[in-house]
Amino acid sequence: MTEPHRVDPWRFAGGFLQKVLSSQIPDEPTHGPIPWTPVTRPLADSKVALLSTAGLSMKDDVPFDMEMERANPTRGDSSWRKLSVRATSADILANHLHIDTSYILRDLNVALPVDRLHALVEDGVVGSLADTHYSTMGYQGSSTRELEQKSAPEIAEHMKGQEVDLALLAPV
Amino acid sequence: MGLVARAIEKAGIPTVTLNMIWAYQNLVGMPRIAAIEHPFGRPYGDVDDAGTQMAVLRAALDVFVRAREPGHVEHLPFIWPHDPAETNWHPSEPSPIIAMIKRNQKNR
Repeated sequence: MTEPHRVDPWRFAGGFLQKVLSSQIPDEPTHGPIPWTPVTRPLADSKVALLSTAGLSMKDDVPFDMEMERANPTRGDSSWRKLSVRATSADILANHLHIDTSYILRDLNVALPVDRLHALVEDGVVGSLADTHYSTMGYQGSSTRELEQKSAPEIAEHMKGQEVDLALLAPV
Repeated sequence: MGLVARAIEKAGIPTVTLNMIWAYQNLVGMPRIAAIEHPFGRPYGDVDDAGTQMAVLRAALDVFVRAREPGHVEHLPFIWPHDPAETNWHPSEPSPIIAMIKRNQKNR
């Protein structure tokens, strides 16, 4: 029997980024208790929402602010956006200065698998779709305060209002 | 992202976070992590690779079913088909903070 695969978090990061990020990881966890909500209903009865940190916005919405970050590299846009569950690459902008966004602009499913989730709903594997999906922009610079105190609770509140049962998040 | 996951979970909605640099992002403590060894920008799989995107989505959703306690980390078995040296994920120009760090190192 082969050893189970263990994900190397640095495989694609490269030496420089690994050094910058891993130097911030303490030997012992410093976070407090982790919140926990038990899953109470089967996937086939659940309403699912997706969230990406790719800085996605609908083309008719306000884009994430990259000029602020260019002017002050220690700051990142802490706001959030709603995304149509029918969105395709043609409908969205991707603003994120830390990745190559061209893949997302060719196929949104690489970061926000809207088409795949639709298929799972049609096949009855997933109960239903939320009315919207969500995006933030992953880079927050030196302060996560606004994200933590404003955007994160607002997203959570919005999901509650949409009666979302399960939220699948994917940083990019 | 961990902060968002925590807020959603706190509001009563279970979360799974599909995560490449899980060891770093888990600094804040996340309820359920599906760790994946994919390049930045393409967590679910490559462009037009619907098969992998679907398989990753299903594997991540399965973590909701399997996780029993907070801080659950599950290592998904997906192998990116190209070596890191052949996989581009970087933006066309370095991000402002990386450019600033490198500039400061040079000036030291």
